[in-house]
Amino acid sequence: MITTLIRRELLDNLMTFRFAVAVFIMLLLVVANTAVLIKDYERRLAAYNTALKTERQQLQERKTYSSGSLDVARPPNPLSIFNVGLDKRLGNEIWISYAFVPTLWDARMRGTTNPLLNLFSSIDIVFIFEVVLSLIALIFAYDAIAGERERGTLRLVLTHPVRRGHILLAKYISAMSCLLVPLLISLLLAVILLTTSTAISLSTGDFLRIGGIILSSIVYLSVFYFIGMLISAVTRRTGTALMLAMFVWGFWVLVYPNAVLAAIAPPEASQPRMVSAYEEIKQIWEAFDRERKQFLANDAFPGEDPDFGMVDVDPNWIWGSGHEYFHKDSSTLRYDYHAVSNIDKLSEASKPQVPHAQDYYRFLGPQIVNAAERAWLVRKQALEAIFVQPAIVDRILLRGSPVGMYDAATQAWVGTDLRGLRDFFEAARRYRRTLIDYYYDKNAFGAEQWFSADKGAVDWDSLPQFSFQRVDVATNAKRALPDVCILVMLNIILFVIIFLIFIKSEV
Amino acid sequence: MWHIAKREIYDNLNSLRFALTTVLLLGLMLINAIVHLQEHPGRMQKYHDAATKSLNRLKSRTNLYQIAQEGPGYLYKKPSSLHFCADGGEDFLADNVHGGFYAWATDDLAGFWQLDYMPATLNRQNIRPDTIKIDWTFVIGYVLSLIAILFTFDSISGEREHGTLRLTLANSVPRHTVLIGKFLGALVSISVPFVLSILMNLLVISTASEVRLGPDAWSRLGIILFIALLYLCLFLALGLLVSSRVRQSAASLVILLLMWVTFVVFMPSTLASIASGFSPSMTYDKFNERAIQLVNELRGEYEARLQDMKDPVQKMEFAGEYVIKDVTGRERLIHEYLTQQHAQIQLARSVTRVSPVVLVQHLLEVFAGTGFERHQQFVENVQRYAREYREFVTDMDRADPESLHIIGTYEGMSKKPISPESIPMFEDRLSLGRDFNAAAVDLLLLMLFFAVFLSGAFLAFVRVEV
Repeated sequence: MITTLIRRELLDNLMTFRFAVAVFIMLLLVVANTAVLIKDYERRLAAYNTALKTERQQLQERKTYSSGSLDVARPPNPLSIFNVGLDKRLGNEIWISYAFVPTLWDARMRGTTNPLLNLFSSIDIVFIFEVVLSLIALIFAYDAIAGERERGTLRLVLTHPVRRGHILLAKYISAMSCLLVPLLISLLLAVILLTTSTAISLSTGDFLRIGGIILSSIVYLSVFYFIGMLISAVTRRTGTALMLAMFVWGFWVLVYPNAVLAAIAPPEASQPRMVSAYEEIKQIWEAFDRERKQFLANDAFPGEDPDFGMVDVDPNWIWGSGHEYFHKDSSTLRYDYHAVSNIDKLSEASKPQVPHAQDYYRFLGPQIVNAAERAWLVRKQALEAIFVQPAIVDRILLRGSPVGMYDAATQAWVGTDLRGLRDFFEAARRYRRTLIDYYYDKNAFGAEQWFSADKGAVDWDSLPQFSFQRVDVATNAKRALPDVCILVMLNIILFVIIFLIFIKSEV
Repeated sequence: MWHIAKREIYDNLNSLRFALTTVLLLGLMLINAIVHLQEHPGRMQKYHDAATKSLNRLKSRTNLYQIAQEGPGYLYKKPSSLHFCADGGEDFLADNVHGGFYAWATDDLAGFWQLDYMPATLNRQNIRPDTIKIDWTFVIGYVLSLIAILFTFDSISGEREHGTLRLTLANSVPRHTVLIGKFLGALVSISVPFVLSILMNLLVISTASEVRLGPDAWSRLGIILFIALLYLCLFLALGLLVSSRVRQSAASLVILLLMWVTFVVFMPSTLASIASGFSPSMTYDKFNERAIQLVNELRGEYEARLQDMKDPVQKMEFAGEYVIKDVTGRERLIHEYLTQQHAQIQLARSVTRVSPVVLVQHLLEVFAGTGFERHQQFVENVQRYAREYREFVTDMDRADPESLHIIGTYEGMSKKPISPESIPMFEDRLSLGRDFNAAAVDLLLLMLFFAVFLSGAFLAFVRVEV
């Protein structure tokens, strides 16, 4: 019996005009936008490759250890085509130095051709699904029950010995299989376009991630179908059902995600917390500075000039002498000390000073590393409380709408969510440890090459290269799971409610 | 006709959609007003603080060389008091132009100031999800158009389905009267909650003492209201057109909604992305490379030729010439870079005009004094001021007979003290006249869209079989 019902419903849905239009629009939007997005990705990838090249070049130009700070670039995520998330927004180049613990707040943006292009919002495939799929699901569902009741066919069907639950199930299965057609075809086309691009090579993991997106999309679609069905079950007339469905759609897809943060936004970066953390960090560095000055005072060499009067042979060499400075930025709680010395060729007169300088830097290097680590502990907690917590609360608020859950789930699948992006900065911090280990390995802090290239430039080739691997699919799945689960639960709850209402309703 | 309109209005007033519309519009406008009240005083305060600081620094200079070399410093864009009407993506546009120096310095020479258009410091600290701002542009562009569709999709096809259309036409009413009546009915029944919500919004905003709206602002608001109603009419006409062409009201809604989604939600960004690919602007790396090349070339030339010169005055003249050449060269390059970026945006903006929501967005931005047009106006103001400032330096130098009139070097310029009052000060301004020019094309296109849709609806309805 149920197969007959499904067949009837399927034919009813497939042959309709709305189905044809839905498929057409979906395909048009997805194909046009995928093409644009792939081009954009290729541009970003090219920028990333140039960045890699210049970074390596810049490092080779550094002749002394103390100037050995390097930039590392974040590769663009090929799956950002599906859901761009924070991939394009957060900085994609970060500076690695032994004296400074990098965070996402210190990253720079590199390779954006025209910053004004941000004026135009960018669309990804998931956004198209968010808007169009939910709309189509509601259009399919609004008259599922109310329409049959109005036309009287419902009564006709119920005169047969069919269970009411079966009718609901048949409607759901047939409508969903219809709705899956535009979804799957458009995703297929998108994947085909992706594979034709030479810049993008998808791994097995990426295909699994795309599978995750499909799964989330189906669950999302089904939530909206159930919402439509619920409306259809509670209203007597299709006109009312349609109106209600459209307003629910407008509210949840259009209004809620944009209005909720404006209406109940969590408080901005709390100023007192910021100030106190900054004070604390400042104290760490001031203590460091006192020790530094004390060392210089006790040193055999008189005076405070940490350069010990060393000069370059070539007086025009601007960066020849060292410069020591504090980098301070209270808005991101940044406070760090840099001692860079880049003497190309020592003058004869400076040679006797070399052992003093070596002593000083042997003392200073580990001190800086130490202070930076201690400051980082404070900074980490403060940044977490001031910037990350409100962002997390925001995302929880956004989950008040199925759109928010779907968005969060797909972002987690492709790895463009906050956690995915923070993985990169975590890797950058690990790389900083590698750099420091390398320094210790080479005994760099006390070496002459720390401040002068008199005995030859530093050979950076033995420093391991930075590489960033995105987390594996299992982790992505773990991150996406909560949202997918909530969506699934929402499905079940809605179905139970519809079932209860439908059972009790008069035909 | 009034009879039909009245019937429509009564029908609508009692309907579910009218109630939902009212609630939705009132809620959105209330959020808009509250957010504006929270944010605007801070924004104004920030501008005033920054602008005063910059002015004070300028006034503290008394030496002509210092004025000529260091430049006016940061020049700030004045925030609009109508920011709540259109956000205009102000976060992505720089709020200042830096007229300062930091290029290079030798023992006796220093690079002169130049206008430096830094991109907006994109809030990379901001890891909060980005959303569309709830401004009037959103309420009008997205919500109002959707509501217009929901009010008209069944106005003809629905009546035809019910058979009431035949009944109406059985009376001796001309068809166009029926159409106009329906149009007016829908217009009035949407305008009522819309205007109400706008009044409430303005009431909330104007009660706060921190936010003051002048007569100029009120006239701008009037124009914005007119544009909003025109845009509403456009979508009503579209709704009537589709409704009279399509037999079933459900099909009519599907078509309208998908059209709406395509035109309003997707078209603006998709077309902008495609169009911005047509005229790529100079990349930052390329710009940087050219800038370094330019500076090095001039420097090399200067140093090479300076060796042969003996006469101190000749040397000084040559140095002054070098400084001026350096600053004009750099400024020309920066200007080229900026012009290319603006041209790219301009092209993308023109192409996206196919979508009515973009038209209304442009218009609202222009009249609210935010967004890209306004940014360009600000940049022009800055450039005009920069010319004034440079002329001032030349004039002051020329007025001093003791000066050697070699601009670019300390020794060659007037040493007379300058009174701080005489230095030209920058103040950013908005002018309504210019705005009308910027808006004319968009306004015409909007009217054209409306005319096309309305006459389309008319033709479709006249030929329709009942």
